[in-house]
Amino acid sequence: MLGAVFLWPLGVSIVASFTHDGAPSLASYETVWRLYMRDVVYTVAVAAAGTALTFAAAIPACGWLRLYAFGPVEFLLKVPLFVPFVVVGHALRVALNPYAPGLASSWAGIALALAWKHLGLAALLLLGAFRGVDESYLEAARNVGAGTGRLTRDILVPMAAPALGVSAILIFSSMLASFSIPLMMGRGSGPQMLMIDVYYRFGQHGDFATAAALGVVAYLLAMGAALVYVRRLTA
Amino acid sequence: MSAARRLARAGAFAVACFVIVGPLASLAIWSLAERWTYPSPWPQRFGLRYWQRVVSGDFLEPLRLGVVIAVIVTVLALAMAIPLGYALARLTFRGRTVILLLFLLPQAFPQLPVFASATREFYRFGLAGTVAGVVLVHLVGGLVFAVWTMTAVFRSMAVELEEAAWNLGASTTRAFVGVSLPLAGPGIVASAVLVFLYSLDEFTGTLLVGSPFVTTLPVYMYTASLGYELQIASVTAIVLMVPGAALLLLLERFLKTEYLVFFGQV
Repeated sequence: MLGAVFLWPLGVSIVASFTHDGAPSLASYETVWRLYMRDVVYTVAVAAAGTALTFAAAIPACGWLRLYAFGPVEFLLKVPLFVPFVVVGHALRVALNPYAPGLASSWAGIALALAWKHLGLAALLLLGAFRGVDESYLEAARNVGAGTGRLTRDILVPMAAPALGVSAILIFSSMLASFSIPLMMGRGSGPQMLMIDVYYRFGQHGDFATAAALGVVAYLLAMGAALVYVRRLTA
Repeated sequence: MSAARRLARAGAFAVACFVIVGPLASLAIWSLAERWTYPSPWPQRFGLRYWQRVVSGDFLEPLRLGVVIAVIVTVLALAMAIPLGYALARLTFRGRTVILLLFLLPQAFPQLPVFASATREFYRFGLAGTVAGVVLVHLVGGLVFAVWTMTAVFRSMAVELEEAAWNLGASTTRAFVGVSLPLAGPGIVASAVLVFLYSLDEFTGTLLVGSPFVTTLPVYMYTASLGYELQIASVTAIVLMVPGAALLLLLERFLKTEYLVFFGQV
Protein backbone atom coordinates (compact mmCIF):
# COMPACT_ATOMS: atom_id res chain seq x y z
CA MET A 1 0.00 0.00 0.00
CA LEU A 2 2.66 2.45 1.12
CA GLY A 3 4.92 1.06 -1.58
CA ALA A 4 2.38 1.71 -4.34
CA VAL A 5 1.37 5.20 -3.28
CA PHE A 6 4.64 6.48 -1.82
CA LEU A 7 7.75 4.50 -2.69
CA TRP A 8 6.85 3.90 -6.33
CA PRO A 9 6.11 7.59 -7.11
CA LEU A 10 9.22 8.57 -5.14
CA GLY A 11 11.33 6.23 -7.29
CA VAL A 12 9.61 7.34 -10.51
CA SER A 13 10.29 11.00 -9.71
CA ILE A 14 13.96 10.39 -8.97
CA VAL A 15 14.41 8.42 -12.21
CA ALA A 16 12.49 11.04 -14.20
CA SER A 17 14.70 13.82 -12.87
CA PHE A 18 17.72 12.12 -14.46
CA THR A 19 16.01 11.45 -17.77
CA HIS A 20 15.43 13.59 -20.84
CA ASP A 21 13.49 12.27 -23.87
CA GLY A 22 13.93 8.74 -22.61
CA ALA A 23 17.71 8.90 -22.31
CA PRO A 24 19.75 9.45 -19.14
CA SER A 25 20.51 13.13 -18.86
CA LEU A 26 21.24 15.93 -16.45
CA ALA A 27 19.20 18.44 -18.48
CA SER A 28 16.64 18.89 -15.67
CA TYR A 29 19.34 19.71 -13.18
CA GLU A 30 20.80 22.25 -15.61
CA THR A 31 17.35 23.89 -15.72
CA VAL A 32 17.25 23.89 -11.93
CA TRP A 33 20.72 25.43 -11.82
CA ARG A 34 19.83 28.05 -14.42
CA LEU A 35 16.37 29.08 -13.21
CA TYR A 36 15.97 28.04 -9.62
CA MET A 37 19.23 28.49 -7.73
CA ARG A 38 17.99 31.78 -6.35
CA ASP A 39 14.83 30.06 -5.09
CA VAL A 40 16.88 27.31 -3.44
CA VAL A 41 18.90 29.91 -1.54
CA TYR A 42 15.73 31.85 -0.74
CA THR A 43 14.00 28.72 0.60
CA VAL A 44 16.93 27.80 2.83
CA ALA A 45 17.10 31.40 4.08
CA VAL A 46 13.36 31.60 4.86
CA ALA A 47 13.45 28.22 6.62
CA ALA A 48 16.50 29.30 8.63
CA ALA A 49 14.86 32.61 9.57
CA GLY A 50 11.65 30.80 10.51
CA THR A 51 13.56 28.30 12.67
CA ALA A 52 15.48 31.11 14.38
CA LEU A 53 12.24 32.97 15.04
CA THR A 54 10.57 29.86 16.44
CA PHE A 55 13.43 29.30 18.87
CA ALA A 56 13.68 32.98 19.80
CA ALA A 57 10.08 32.72 21.02
CA ALA A 58 10.06 29.14 22.29
CA ILE A 59 13.27 29.16 24.37
CA PRO A 60 12.32 32.01 26.75
CA ALA A 61 8.70 30.81 26.89
CA CYS A 62 9.62 27.21 27.68
CA GLY A 63 12.41 28.26 30.07
CA TRP A 64 9.92 30.33 32.03
CA LEU A 65 7.35 27.52 31.95
CA ARG A 66 9.95 25.00 33.16
CA LEU A 67 10.79 27.21 36.15
CA TYR A 68 7.29 28.44 36.98
CA ALA A 69 4.72 25.96 35.65
CA PHE A 70 1.64 27.83 34.45
CA GLY A 71 -1.02 25.74 32.71
CA PRO A 72 -2.88 28.39 30.70
CA VAL A 73 0.26 29.62 28.91
CA GLU A 74 1.43 26.08 28.20
CA PHE A 75 -1.99 25.32 26.72
CA LEU A 76 -1.85 28.40 24.47
CA LEU A 77 1.61 27.46 23.22
CA LYS A 78 0.35 24.07 22.09
CA VAL A 79 -2.63 25.49 20.19
CA PRO A 80 -0.73 25.87 16.85
CA LEU A 81 -0.28 22.08 16.77
CA PHE A 82 -3.99 21.74 16.15
CA VAL A 83 -4.35 24.45 13.53
CA PRO A 84 -3.79 22.98 10.04
CA PHE A 85 -1.05 24.50 7.84
CA VAL A 86 -3.56 25.86 5.29
CA VAL A 87 -5.50 27.65 8.00
CA VAL A 88 -2.30 29.12 9.48
CA GLY A 89 -1.31 30.49 6.07
CA HIS A 90 -4.68 32.12 5.57
CA ALA A 91 -4.94 33.39 9.16
CA LEU A 92 -1.54 35.11 9.06
CA ARG A 93 -2.35 36.56 5.65
CA VAL A 94 -5.59 38.18 6.81
CA ALA A 95 -4.02 39.18 10.13
CA LEU A 96 -1.16 41.03 8.44
CA ASN A 97 -2.96 42.41 5.40
CA PRO A 98 -4.97 45.24 6.99
CA TYR A 99 -1.93 46.61 8.81
CA ALA A 100 0.99 45.85 6.55
CA PRO A 101 -0.09 45.00 3.02
CA GLY A 102 2.66 43.23 1.13
CA LEU A 103 4.26 41.83 4.25
CA ALA A 104 2.26 38.59 4.06
CA SER A 105 3.70 37.49 0.72
CA SER A 106 7.23 38.64 1.59
CA TRP A 107 9.95 36.42 3.05
CA ALA A 108 9.35 37.90 6.50
CA GLY A 109 5.62 37.14 6.38
CA ILE A 110 6.23 33.54 5.32
CA ALA A 111 8.91 33.07 8.02
CA LEU A 112 6.53 34.54 10.59
CA ALA A 113 3.68 32.21 9.61
CA LEU A 114 6.00 29.19 9.59
CA ALA A 115 7.33 30.16 13.02
CA TRP A 116 3.77 30.53 14.35
CA LYS A 117 2.78 27.06 13.16
CA HIS A 118 5.95 25.41 14.50
CA LEU A 119 5.74 27.11 17.88
CA GLY A 120 3.47 24.29 19.08
CA LEU A 121 5.88 21.56 18.07
CA ALA A 122 8.87 23.49 19.46
CA ALA A 123 7.08 24.03 22.77
CA LEU A 124 6.30 20.33 23.01
CA LEU A 125 9.88 19.24 22.29
CA LEU A 126 11.61 21.97 24.31
CA LEU A 127 9.43 21.60 27.39
CA GLY A 128 10.09 17.87 27.33
CA ALA A 129 13.83 18.50 27.13
CA PHE A 130 13.85 21.23 29.80
CA ARG A 131 11.80 19.09 32.17
CA GLY A 132 14.44 16.40 31.82
CA VAL A 133 17.03 18.73 33.41
CA ASP A 134 17.58 17.77 37.02
CA GLU A 135 16.15 20.17 39.59
CA SER A 136 19.34 20.11 41.71
CA TYR A 137 21.35 22.02 39.07
CA LEU A 138 18.71 24.74 38.97
CA GLU A 139 18.60 24.79 42.76
CA ALA A 140 22.36 25.27 42.99
CA ALA A 141 22.34 28.13 40.48
CA ARG A 142 19.41 29.76 42.24
CA ASN A 143 21.31 29.67 45.52
CA VAL A 144 24.07 31.76 44.00
CA GLY A 145 21.51 34.26 42.75
CA ALA A 146 20.70 33.26 39.14
CA GLY A 147 17.39 34.64 37.80
CA THR A 148 15.06 33.23 35.15
CA GLY A 149 17.17 34.51 32.24
CA ARG A 150 20.45 33.16 33.59
CA LEU A 151 18.90 29.81 34.53
CA THR A 152 17.52 29.40 31.00
CA ARG A 153 20.67 30.55 29.22
CA ASP A 154 23.33 28.95 31.39
CA ILE A 155 21.65 25.78 32.68
CA LEU A 156 18.58 24.71 30.69
CA VAL A 157 19.79 25.45 27.14
CA PRO A 158 23.30 23.92 27.47
CA MET A 159 21.98 20.82 29.23
CA ALA A 160 19.22 20.30 26.69
CA ALA A 161 21.47 21.15 23.72
CA PRO A 162 21.23 17.76 21.95
CA ALA A 163 17.43 17.83 22.09
CA LEU A 164 17.44 21.44 20.89
CA GLY A 165 19.60 20.47 17.93
CA VAL A 166 17.30 17.63 16.93
CA SER A 167 14.24 19.90 17.24
CA ALA A 168 15.94 22.53 15.08
CA ILE A 169 16.68 20.00 12.33
CA LEU A 170 13.11 18.68 12.33
CA ILE A 171 11.58 22.15 12.26
CA PHE A 172 13.99 23.43 9.60
CA SER A 173 13.22 20.48 7.31
CA SER A 174 9.50 20.87 7.81
CA MET A 175 9.73 24.57 6.90
CA LEU A 176 11.83 23.77 3.85
CA ALA A 177 9.14 21.42 2.58
CA SER A 178 6.22 23.67 3.43
CA PHE A 179 3.78 24.23 0.63
CA SER A 180 0.39 25.31 1.96
CA ILE A 181 1.65 28.24 4.03
CA PRO A 182 3.52 30.05 1.21
CA LEU A 183 0.70 29.16 -1.19
CA MET A 184 -1.96 30.70 1.06
CA MET A 185 0.14 33.76 1.90
CA GLY A 186 0.00 34.76 -1.74
CA ARG A 187 2.60 34.89 -4.44
CA GLY A 188 4.59 38.09 -4.32
CA SER A 189 7.00 38.97 -7.06
CA GLY A 190 10.57 37.81 -6.71
CA PRO A 191 11.91 34.48 -5.45
CA GLN A 192 9.56 31.69 -4.37
CA MET A 193 9.66 28.81 -1.92
CA LEU A 194 10.86 25.57 -3.52
CA MET A 195 7.59 23.65 -3.13
CA ILE A 196 5.70 26.43 -4.90
CA ASP A 197 8.14 26.04 -7.79
CA VAL A 198 7.57 22.28 -7.87
CA TYR A 199 3.81 22.83 -7.92
CA TYR A 200 3.80 25.35 -10.75
CA ARG A 201 6.49 23.55 -12.76
CA PHE A 202 4.39 20.40 -12.59
CA GLY A 203 0.89 21.85 -12.77
CA GLN A 204 1.18 24.79 -15.12
CA HIS A 205 4.22 24.01 -17.24
CA GLY A 206 3.56 20.27 -17.28
CA ASP A 207 7.32 19.85 -16.91
CA PHE A 208 7.51 16.81 -14.69
CA ALA A 209 11.25 16.19 -15.11
CA THR A 210 12.29 19.61 -13.81
CA ALA A 211 9.67 19.43 -11.03
CA ALA A 212 11.15 16.06 -10.06
CA ALA A 213 14.69 17.47 -10.08
CA LEU A 214 13.55 20.30 -7.80
CA GLY A 215 12.02 17.59 -5.62
CA VAL A 216 15.34 15.73 -5.42
CA VAL A 217 17.07 18.96 -4.34
CA ALA A 218 14.44 19.27 -1.59
CA TYR A 219 14.98 15.62 -0.52
CA LEU A 220 18.69 16.30 -0.16
CA LEU A 221 18.13 19.48 1.85
CA ALA A 222 15.73 17.61 4.14
CA MET A 223 18.17 14.72 4.60
CA GLY A 224 19.01 15.96 8.10
CA ALA A 225 15.52 15.16 9.30
CA ALA A 226 15.61 11.73 7.69
CA LEU A 227 18.86 10.94 9.49
CA VAL A 228 17.40 12.09 12.81
CA TYR A 229 14.46 9.73 12.36
CA VAL A 230 16.70 6.83 11.40
CA ARG A 231 19.00 7.37 14.38
CA ARG A 232 16.07 7.59 16.74
CA LEU A 233 14.75 4.32 15.37
CA THR A 234 17.99 2.39 15.52
CA ALA A 235 19.03 3.78 18.91
CA MET B 1 1.92 34.03 45.74
CA SER B 2 3.84 37.28 45.60
CA ALA B 3 2.59 40.29 43.66
CA ALA B 4 5.61 40.09 41.35
CA ARG B 5 4.82 36.44 40.49
CA ARG B 6 1.23 37.33 39.78
CA LEU B 7 2.27 40.20 37.56
CA ALA B 8 4.71 37.96 35.66
CA ARG B 9 1.96 35.41 35.09
CA ALA B 10 -0.48 38.03 33.85
CA GLY B 11 2.19 39.46 31.55
CA ALA B 12 3.13 36.05 30.12
CA PHE B 13 -0.51 35.22 29.57
CA ALA B 14 -1.16 38.53 27.79
CA VAL B 15 1.81 38.03 25.46
CA ALA B 16 0.82 34.44 24.69
CA CYS B 17 -2.76 35.55 24.01
CA PHE B 18 -1.64 38.26 21.62
CA VAL B 19 0.75 35.99 19.72
CA ILE B 20 -1.38 32.85 19.60
CA VAL B 21 -4.97 34.08 19.70
CA GLY B 22 -4.32 37.24 17.64
CA PRO B 23 -4.13 35.63 14.18
CA LEU B 24 -7.02 33.29 15.00
CA ALA B 25 -9.14 36.20 16.20
CA SER B 26 -8.45 38.04 12.98
CA LEU B 27 -10.06 35.11 11.15
CA ALA B 28 -13.20 35.70 13.20
CA ILE B 29 -13.14 39.44 12.51
CA TRP B 30 -12.62 38.88 8.79
CA SER B 31 -15.49 36.40 8.65
CA LEU B 32 -17.77 39.16 9.93
CA ALA B 33 -16.27 42.01 7.89
CA GLU B 34 -18.59 42.98 5.09
CA ARG B 35 -16.30 45.82 4.16
CA TRP B 36 -12.70 46.33 5.21
CA THR B 37 -10.31 48.34 3.10
CA TYR B 38 -6.79 49.55 3.80
CA PRO B 39 -5.76 51.59 5.82
CA SER B 40 -8.74 51.33 8.16
CA PRO B 41 -7.58 49.47 11.31
CA TRP B 42 -11.05 47.99 11.75
CA PRO B 43 -13.76 46.77 9.33
CA GLN B 44 -16.01 49.55 8.10
CA ARG B 45 -19.09 47.35 8.13
CA PHE B 46 -19.84 44.20 10.14
CA GLY B 47 -22.45 41.57 9.28
CA LEU B 48 -23.35 37.92 8.95
CA ARG B 49 -23.72 38.04 5.18
CA TYR B 50 -20.76 35.76 4.46
CA TRP B 51 -21.75 33.21 7.09
CA GLN B 52 -25.21 33.07 5.55
CA ARG B 53 -23.78 32.74 2.07
CA VAL B 54 -21.44 29.97 3.11
CA VAL B 55 -23.91 27.93 5.10
CA SER B 56 -26.64 28.13 2.48
CA GLY B 57 -24.33 27.75 -0.49
CA ASP B 58 -21.85 25.39 -2.03
CA PHE B 59 -19.91 24.91 1.18
CA LEU B 60 -21.89 21.94 2.49
CA GLU B 61 -20.90 19.61 -0.34
CA PRO B 62 -17.11 19.90 0.29
CA LEU B 63 -17.78 19.40 4.00
CA ARG B 64 -19.85 16.27 3.36
CA LEU B 65 -17.32 14.87 0.88
CA GLY B 66 -14.42 15.58 3.26
CA VAL B 67 -16.16 13.76 6.11
CA VAL B 68 -16.98 10.76 3.88
CA ILE B 69 -13.35 10.53 2.72
CA ALA B 70 -12.07 10.92 6.28
CA VAL B 71 -14.32 8.10 7.54
CA ILE B 72 -13.20 5.73 4.78
CA VAL B 73 -9.53 6.61 5.37
CA THR B 74 -9.87 6.12 9.14
CA VAL B 75 -11.53 2.71 8.83
CA LEU B 76 -9.04 1.44 6.25
CA ALA B 77 -5.99 2.81 8.06
CA LEU B 78 -6.96 1.30 11.42
CA ALA B 79 -7.95 -2.04 9.88
CA MET B 80 -4.37 -2.27 8.60
CA ALA B 81 -2.60 -0.54 11.48
CA ILE B 82 -4.05 -2.51 14.42
CA PRO B 83 -2.67 -5.93 13.39
CA LEU B 84 0.52 -4.38 12.01
CA GLY B 85 1.08 -2.27 15.13
CA TYR B 86 0.52 -5.34 17.31
CA ALA B 87 3.04 -7.34 15.32
CA LEU B 88 5.59 -4.51 15.42
CA ALA B 89 5.19 -4.09 19.17
CA ARG B 90 5.11 -7.73 20.23
CA LEU B 91 7.06 -9.79 17.76
CA THR B 92 10.66 -9.65 16.74
CA PHE B 93 11.01 -10.65 13.13
CA ARG B 94 13.41 -9.92 10.32
CA GLY B 95 12.71 -6.71 8.54
CA ARG B 96 10.96 -5.16 11.54
CA THR B 97 13.24 -2.12 11.51
CA VAL B 98 12.85 -1.82 7.74
CA ILE B 99 9.05 -1.71 8.10
CA LEU B 100 9.24 0.91 10.84
CA LEU B 101 11.63 2.92 8.70
CA LEU B 102 9.27 2.65 5.74
CA PHE B 103 6.55 4.17 7.87
CA LEU B 104 8.79 7.11 8.70
CA LEU B 105 9.74 7.98 5.14
CA PRO B 106 6.63 10.02 4.30
CA GLN B 107 7.28 11.91 7.52
CA ALA B 108 10.92 12.63 6.79
CA PHE B 109 10.74 13.61 3.12
CA PRO B 110 9.04 16.56 1.43
CA GLN B 111 5.68 15.20 0.34
CA LEU B 112 4.68 17.50 -2.49
CA PRO B 113 7.11 16.17 -5.15
CA VAL B 114 6.02 12.62 -4.31
CA PHE B 115 2.35 13.53 -4.55
CA ALA B 116 3.00 15.22 -7.90
CA SER B 117 4.59 12.02 -9.12
CA ALA B 118 1.72 9.96 -7.67
CA THR B 119 -0.78 12.17 -9.51
CA ARG B 120 0.98 11.41 -12.77
CA GLU B 121 0.89 7.67 -12.05
CA PHE B 122 -2.76 7.91 -11.00
CA TYR B 123 -3.65 9.37 -14.40
CA ARG B 124 -2.59 6.11 -16.00
CA PHE B 125 -5.06 4.18 -13.88
CA GLY B 126 -7.89 6.69 -14.05
CA LEU B 127 -7.49 7.50 -10.35
CA ALA B 128 -6.61 11.18 -10.69
CA GLY B 129 -9.53 13.45 -9.90
CA THR B 130 -11.46 10.63 -8.18
CA VAL B 131 -12.44 10.07 -4.56
CA ALA B 132 -10.60 6.73 -4.65
CA GLY B 133 -7.40 8.51 -5.63
CA VAL B 134 -7.76 11.01 -2.80
CA VAL B 135 -8.46 8.20 -0.32
CA LEU B 136 -5.27 6.44 -1.45
CA VAL B 137 -3.19 9.57 -1.02
CA HIS B 138 -4.66 10.25 2.43
CA LEU B 139 -3.93 6.65 3.40
CA VAL B 140 -0.19 7.34 3.11
CA GLY B 141 -0.21 9.92 5.90
CA GLY B 142 -3.05 8.21 7.75
CA LEU B 143 -1.19 4.91 7.89
CA VAL B 144 1.94 6.59 9.21
CA PHE B 145 -0.03 8.14 12.09
CA ALA B 146 -2.02 4.97 12.75
CA VAL B 147 0.89 2.51 12.66
CA TRP B 148 3.07 4.60 14.95
CA THR B 149 0.36 5.32 17.48
CA MET B 150 -0.86 1.72 17.51
CA THR B 151 2.69 0.40 17.93
CA ALA B 152 3.17 2.79 20.86
CA VAL B 153 -0.17 1.74 22.38
CA PHE B 154 0.56 -1.99 22.23
CA ARG B 155 4.12 -1.46 23.43
CA SER B 156 2.90 0.38 26.52
CA MET B 157 0.62 -2.52 27.51
CA ALA B 158 1.97 -5.11 29.92
CA VAL B 159 2.62 -8.35 28.08
CA GLU B 160 1.88 -10.28 31.30
CA LEU B 161 -1.86 -9.88 30.79
CA GLU B 162 -1.68 -11.66 27.45
CA GLU B 163 0.58 -14.30 28.95
CA ALA B 164 -2.02 -14.94 31.64
CA ALA B 165 -4.64 -15.51 28.96
CA TRP B 166 -2.31 -17.90 27.09
CA ASN B 167 -1.61 -19.80 30.30
CA LEU B 168 -5.35 -20.26 30.80
CA GLY B 169 -5.49 -21.88 27.39
CA ALA B 170 -6.52 -19.00 25.13
CA SER B 171 -5.19 -19.06 21.60
CA THR B 172 -3.10 -16.13 20.32
CA THR B 173 -6.09 -14.81 18.40
CA ARG B 174 -8.42 -15.24 21.38
CA ALA B 175 -5.99 -13.43 23.68
CA PHE B 176 -5.62 -10.64 21.15
CA VAL B 177 -9.38 -10.17 20.65
CA GLY B 178 -10.37 -10.78 24.29
CA VAL B 179 -7.54 -9.07 26.19
CA SER B 180 -5.28 -6.86 24.07
CA LEU B 181 -7.93 -5.23 21.90
CA PRO B 182 -10.20 -4.03 24.76
CA LEU B 183 -7.18 -2.78 26.70
CA ALA B 184 -6.03 -0.87 23.63
CA GLY B 185 -9.50 0.71 23.29
CA PRO B 186 -8.62 4.26 24.36
CA GLY B 187 -5.47 4.19 22.26
CA ILE B 188 -7.44 3.01 19.23
CA VAL B 189 -9.92 5.86 19.71
CA ALA B 190 -7.07 8.38 19.96
CA SER B 191 -5.47 6.94 16.84
CA ALA B 192 -8.77 7.04 14.95
CA VAL B 193 -9.40 10.66 15.91
CA LEU B 194 -5.90 11.56 14.78
CA VAL B 195 -6.30 9.90 11.37
CA PHE B 196 -9.78 11.36 10.89
CA LEU B 197 -8.59 14.90 11.57
CA TYR B 198 -5.51 14.42 9.42
CA SER B 199 -7.66 13.38 6.48
CA LEU B 200 -10.20 16.17 7.05
CA ASP B 201 -7.44 18.81 7.07
CA GLU B 202 -5.19 17.32 4.39
CA PHE B 203 -4.59 19.85 1.64
CA THR B 204 -1.51 19.17 -0.51
CA GLY B 205 -2.35 15.64 -1.66
CA THR B 206 -6.02 16.49 -2.17
CA LEU B 207 -5.18 19.55 -4.26
CA LEU B 208 -2.85 17.59 -6.53
CA VAL B 209 -4.64 14.25 -6.86
CA GLY B 210 -8.22 15.43 -6.46
CA SER B 211 -8.12 18.37 -8.83
CA PRO B 212 -10.32 19.39 -10.48
CA PHE B 213 -13.23 17.18 -9.40
CA VAL B 214 -12.70 16.38 -5.71
CA THR B 215 -13.11 19.46 -3.53
CA THR B 216 -12.77 19.10 0.22
CA LEU B 217 -12.92 22.02 2.66
CA PRO B 218 -9.20 22.95 2.58
CA VAL B 219 -9.27 23.00 -1.24
CA TYR B 220 -12.51 25.01 -1.17
CA MET B 221 -10.84 27.48 1.17
CA TYR B 222 -7.81 27.80 -1.10
CA THR B 223 -10.02 28.43 -4.14
CA ALA B 224 -11.93 31.11 -2.23
CA SER B 225 -8.76 32.89 -1.12
CA LEU B 226 -7.36 32.68 -4.65
CA GLY B 227 -10.39 34.65 -5.84
CA TYR B 228 -9.77 37.22 -3.07
CA GLU B 229 -12.92 36.08 -1.27
CA LEU B 230 -11.11 36.47 2.03
CA GLN B 231 -14.32 36.41 4.07
CA ILE B 232 -15.51 33.10 2.58
CA ALA B 233 -12.06 31.62 3.15
CA SER B 234 -12.08 32.89 6.75
CA VAL B 235 -15.45 31.30 7.49
CA THR B 236 -14.14 28.02 6.05
CA ALA B 237 -10.93 28.30 8.06
CA ILE B 238 -12.93 28.65 11.27
CA VAL B 239 -15.02 25.60 10.42
CA LEU B 240 -11.81 23.67 9.66
CA MET B 241 -10.34 24.61 13.03
CA VAL B 242 -13.31 23.49 15.10
CA PRO B 243 -12.57 19.73 15.12
CA GLY B 244 -8.94 20.28 16.10
CA ALA B 245 -9.88 22.74 18.82
CA ALA B 246 -12.50 20.35 20.20
CA LEU B 247 -9.91 17.61 20.23
CA LEU B 248 -7.41 19.77 22.06
CA LEU B 249 -9.94 20.62 24.75
CA LEU B 250 -11.36 17.12 25.12
CA LEU B 251 -8.23 15.04 24.89
CA GLU B 252 -5.56 17.26 26.37
CA ARG B 253 -4.93 14.94 29.29
CA PHE B 254 -5.53 11.83 27.30
CA LEU B 255 -3.30 12.38 24.29
CA LYS B 256 0.29 11.52 25.00
CA THR B 257 3.14 13.69 23.82
CA GLU B 258 4.15 11.24 21.14
CA TYR B 259 0.77 11.56 19.45
CA LEU B 260 0.90 15.32 19.67
CA VAL B 261 4.20 15.39 17.83
CA PHE B 262 2.47 13.76 14.86
CA PHE B 263 -0.10 16.50 14.98
CA GLY B 264 2.45 19.14 14.13
CA GLN B 265 2.68 17.63 10.67
CA VAL B 266 -0.91 18.27 9.57
